[in-house]
Amino acid sequence: MLIEAIDLHRVYRMGENEVHALRGVTFGIERGEFVSIIGPSGSGKSTLMHIMGCLDRPTSGSYILDGTPIEGLDDRRLSRLRNRKVGFVFQSFNLIQQLNVVENVEVPLVYMEMDRHERRERALQMLEAVGLGHRSQHRPNELSGGENQRVAIARALVTDPDLILADEPTGNLDTKTGHEIMELLKRLHEQGKTLIMVTHDLEKAKWSSRFIHMKDGKILHDFRDTDGTDIVGMFYESTMEQETQ
Amino acid sequence: MEYSESFRVGIRSIMAHKMRSLLTTLGVIFGVAAVIAMLSIGEGAKREALEQIRLLGTNNIRINAVKLTGDKAREAESKYSDGLSYKDGLLIRENIPSVRAVTPIRFIDAPVMKGNKEAAARIIGTDYLYPEVTSFRVEEGRFITPLDVSEAKRICVIGAKVKRELFGYRSPIGHRIRIGEEWFRVVGVMENKKLREGKASIIKIRDINRDIYIPITTALKRFRDEEKPLFVNEIAVQVKSAELVEPTARIIRRLLKRTHRDVQDYEIVIPAELLAQSRRTQRVFNIVMGSIAAISLLVGGIGIMNIMLASVTERTKEIGIRRALGATEQDILGQFLNETVLISATGGIIGIVLGVVMAKAINIFAGWETVIALYSVAVSFGISAMVGIIFGIYPARKAAQMDPIAALRFE
Repeated sequence: MLIEAIDLHRVYRMGENEVHALRGVTFGIERGEFVSIIGPSGSGKSTLMHIMGCLDRPTSGSYILDGTPIEGLDDRRLSRLRNRKVGFVFQSFNLIQQLNVVENVEVPLVYMEMDRHERRERALQMLEAVGLGHRSQHRPNELSGGENQRVAIARALVTDPDLILADEPTGNLDTKTGHEIMELLKRLHEQGKTLIMVTHDLEKAKWSSRFIHMKDGKILHDFRDTDGTDIVGMFYESTMEQETQ
Repeated sequence: MEYSESFRVGIRSIMAHKMRSLLTTLGVIFGVAAVIAMLSIGEGAKREALEQIRLLGTNNIRINAVKLTGDKAREAESKYSDGLSYKDGLLIRENIPSVRAVTPIRFIDAPVMKGNKEAAARIIGTDYLYPEVTSFRVEEGRFITPLDVSEAKRICVIGAKVKRELFGYRSPIGHRIRIGEEWFRVVGVMENKKLREGKASIIKIRDINRDIYIPITTALKRFRDEEKPLFVNEIAVQVKSAELVEPTARIIRRLLKRTHRDVQDYEIVIPAELLAQSRRTQRVFNIVMGSIAAISLLVGGIGIMNIMLASVTERTKEIGIRRALGATEQDILGQFLNETVLISATGGIIGIVLGVVMAKAINIFAGWETVIALYSVAVSFGISAMVGIIFGIYPARKAAQMDPIAALRFE
């Protein structure tokens, strides 16, 4: 199993108040899955994503990524794990504006301490793979939104991570470009990558093979796609159920 | 992250904001330039003082005649003291065993001519011990001999500049020049002493390359002062060793007090003491200048810290992104610290260049001797790098300890 989460809790202190972002989340994700996490804002899906990406630690419970429990790892080890195992794709692309496209793609490799020439070569290959080989010397602000997101995807893939974490990857894109990005992610899934996508867009969630519905820091439903399952329909059913209860 | 990478990132970041980086480091630039310029003035003054004191000789004691005026002059007259004289020199030579050599110096004011060419020169009556006492050597021909002194011969030894003025590049040996109303045969030429003509010096010294030496006896006889026939302006005393300078000076003081009947128509100058004094002055000067420079570097450092703090806030998002992509806290700390050190060290280099230019300008416009000491360059560069580290550590820590998630959300 690539991801094992056992009874995850995450409590933030906001001055006097304690905010329970996660209230006991348990699940597992196999290698090669394409999972959508859906839920309203404040449901804890972002917190869960940060823990899965080793950017945050649970207050209690255990999280195991590719056999490594993150409990007790120091900053250096956790950063290393994040660097090698996780690739992030963000809603707002999060490219460094001062760097050009290929340099942005190189950043994770810099922290891997890869040789400069090898780094450049790998980054260019990745850009080629997302169809932006010809844009490598441009600045992010000279590119369209879709192109920016492709660069971000190339950057997420460049360390050949086990896990791609996409946070609303199409949130800032128009329908057509969003569709293209989804196509790209789907292709990665088909190539065997494990993908976890946080979204509130049900249309996009349809692309995935598994669907985790979160609310109030808990998993409400966890559907697996058996051929032809209408996961959107199931989602509506589940919310109706919720409301009638 | 490797250091070379961190270095490259730092350079890029500085180059992305050239103007801001320059303004940031201005405090350090001026601080370092001030250090360099100040130290160069201090060093120049020190060298000059040292050179001049050495010229007097550190194993030497000088006794200078002092011209008395008013009541004191009348007192001297009533006590029958006729000022510093050739006899004083002879007395010192004969009675104090720790003295190696004594030579009298008598200045004579007279025009020096060769044909219709006149030389700006200073005529000095002295004896054969002069070169030994002053470590000033003859280059060509010979110096005054004991025989010249005992027979009061009309010969002279001329300084290098006098020779050039009167004879050009020809040898002057055997030729005659006119001093006042008398003809003198040139028997020697002194070596050319390289002297820097400074204005910041502690002791004024004449250009010895313009001296003309004649036997003391000739000076006393031919340029006779009717009131004080044996008067000399200076007596240079060479002591056998450095430790004996102080006790010998004491004995001379006692001796002269007796022979001059308590009249202070002379002063005793000890170059070694002047040297120590000049070193003390130098130290005070250095401390004052050092403090000023330290304050300006401190202000410069605070300026850098201020900008770096702003820069950290401005680049919060970048920090979040880098953390998400695998940067450790150490990586972020290193990146910002490195950038600060780069800025301040670059400021240091610019400051050094500016300081050297300032030192040169001071030399040209104020006429002060300035010497750029290598240690001052090394020290100020080191200090500027240190300023970077000290004032960079706080902003860099702030950047490193940022919560990556909050940083990523920052807009």
